[in-house]
Amino acid sequence: MINLPSALLAAGEAATMPSVGYGALIALVVFIFASLWIGALANRKTREGSFMTGFFLGNRGLGAWALALTATVQSGGTFMGFPSLVYTHGWIVALWIGGYIVVPITGFGILGKRLAQLSRRTEAITVPDLFRTRFGSPALGLVASLFILLYLSFMMFAQFKAGAIVMKTAWPGSGVLSVNEDQKPFALSGNSLSALKEDRVPDAVIEKLAPLVGHGFSTERDLNTQLKTLLTADELVESKDRIVKRSKQLDRLYLYGLAIFSLTVVAYTLMGGFLAAVWTDMFQSVLMFFGVMVLLFASLYQAGGLDNATRTALKNTGPGYVYGPGYDDRFEGPKAAPNAKTAPRMAYDAEVPRQFLPLSLALSFFCVWVWSGVGSPASLVRLMASQNTHVIRRSIYLLSVYNLGIYLPLIVICICGRALIPELPGQTDEIVPRMALLATKDWPGGSLIAGMILAAPFGAVMSTVSSYLVVLSSGLVRDIYQRFIRPQAAPGELRKAAYISMIFVGAVAVVVNISPVAYLQAFIVFSATGSAATFLIPAIMACYWRRATVAGALAGMIGGASTVLSLYLLGILEKTPEQRIGQLTSFRPYYLCEVDPFVWGVLVSSLCSIGMSLLTSPPDEALVSKMFDKEATS
Amino acid sequence: MRDNTDPVVRTGRREALIVVGIWLTAGMWSVTTSYRLGYNRPVEELKLIWGFPEWTFWGVAVPWVVCVIISWIFGVLFVHDADLGEELPEEADELGLGG
Repeated sequence: MINLPSALLAAGEAATMPSVGYGALIALVVFIFASLWIGALANRKTREGSFMTGFFLGNRGLGAWALALTATVQSGGTFMGFPSLVYTHGWIVALWIGGYIVVPITGFGILGKRLAQLSRRTEAITVPDLFRTRFGSPALGLVASLFILLYLSFMMFAQFKAGAIVMKTAWPGSGVLSVNEDQKPFALSGNSLSALKEDRVPDAVIEKLAPLVGHGFSTERDLNTQLKTLLTADELVESKDRIVKRSKQLDRLYLYGLAIFSLTVVAYTLMGGFLAAVWTDMFQSVLMFFGVMVLLFASLYQAGGLDNATRTALKNTGPGYVYGPGYDDRFEGPKAAPNAKTAPRMAYDAEVPRQFLPLSLALSFFCVWVWSGVGSPASLVRLMASQNTHVIRRSIYLLSVYNLGIYLPLIVICICGRALIPELPGQTDEIVPRMALLATKDWPGGSLIAGMILAAPFGAVMSTVSSYLVVLSSGLVRDIYQRFIRPQAAPGELRKAAYISMIFVGAVAVVVNISPVAYLQAFIVFSATGSAATFLIPAIMACYWRRATVAGALAGMIGGASTVLSLYLLGILEKTPEQRIGQLTSFRPYYLCEVDPFVWGVLVSSLCSIGMSLLTSPPDEALVSKMFDKEATS
Repeated sequence: MRDNTDPVVRTGRREALIVVGIWLTAGMWSVTTSYRLGYNRPVEELKLIWGFPEWTFWGVAVPWVVCVIISWIFGVLFVHDADLGEELPEEADELGLGG
């Protein structure tokens, strides 16, 4: 036959790789039933106390394991985005994630104890609740809840899509192994090229499509424009429909996936509330720990030790793979030049290498991981729900052992991955599932283990969604309905309101995702850092600074949020020259002075809140005393 | 008047400052070590320690293990237990799953 480009060869290899078959599907079904069962168990626990604290805060009874394994930022990204980064850029990602070495101490040690106390003194159930009572200002509470509703809606709606796509990919024969959270409605993968071959699209056309592999398109028109530049008019007429059909990411299977995913998540969260979210999260974290351990030893064995793996990976790539600021395969790699001209949108200037992690970003990420963990509303709620200080202390070292056991091994696994699978064009997100298949192929029951690892992103997405559902519904019921619409509502009415709000949020998420908005992903990226930049400084002030005022907290929230938002908008709308640093994504923020927006957000937020607090008159001494002094005096 | 401050506020504030100190130390160590040993170096000089590039070993892996030990010491010995106020559940279940 003719010479096929390397992308196609890799696709051919993929076809001969051991297949998952029903392993992933079985694992998914097990996951779904386990979650429903956990939801039912949690339901029984929830009924013990008052409905509101029971359903939304688990009666403030979180123990050390539950707190440690669920309070940190773990989502589908841990098993998809992160491994893909290691595979792509090499050892430098170890420094990128370096902040995690102190995340357990900072996450629980900075606000933990005091926030747990404050939430009891204010009898707060939600984060806005806490701000409202701590500062004695309903307006502040309202602003806080509006921010949370906004951020979480964006983050959650996009997670539904990820969940639906994972369900779809688990279907035997779908040919895809994992899902990019960044997925666009139209994209060609190596697998769709081989599918096109089966559709009898001429090889000459397929060969011309190779440069498109791995690029997503938001609309059919974008894809068509790109096709026009690559194919002749005749070829276009003949094969266009088939190409478009094969690059469609959202078809009927996607809709089934969406339906099953949404029903499951809403059902178990509805039954068990906060505890159901926490328990499924924990269940999934524990499973993952064992999955990663098994995979670690299997991949080291396959690669002949880490020393060997690093050297082979280095040989497969270039010097950037073992040194900072990271490997850039479009610059150093074998396909560097030919792709440069045809690659769409993410135009590539072959003259300058992309610096994945320049010194400024290395420093930035040491702040980002640590402080976004401290300030994100979801972690604040977990701290508010913790049982006592003993639990917080134990969580510190439980989590530090857990993190060491997850992240460092994942890095090692992906380095072995680069040694064993030299290239995965456009499919680097699949590195962990592929390693799972490769490493377990000779084992009895290997496909089930592989299936479990494949199902991990699904579990992660599910537990993320359910904890967002709880926070969103508590925001609607507690901060809006009970506070502003019907303060005199009876418990039975609140229960009904909570159920209705969850079903409502779930329904909106499904409707939004039937044809997902193109820019949703940009908002997730922004929401994740934005929410932490909004709440970090106000939360610290609320805990430790007597002189903090309402205006100060308000200024801090707005200052942090607007700084991050504008830096992201500048990047997304491409108002600034492209900076060749950081991750290669379609949504990049503007790195002012090459520093991450989060750092600027926190800086502006602290200036605003401290300045504004000092400018306004001191807060009411009686209120401050109630929050800060020994209780006997009040 | 200040003497009346709740002990949780005082110990909490002190612990928070120490944690910030740990964060700064870890960050400075990790980034400077990695930068010194791992940026702009010729590939011929690559040294591996247990399969890790030298800079990853000293800049990330070792401090990570050290931080786990510090977390343990900090969690076990340093953080003061305190009464968080009412609303505590009467009994804790064994697994500590809450509820």
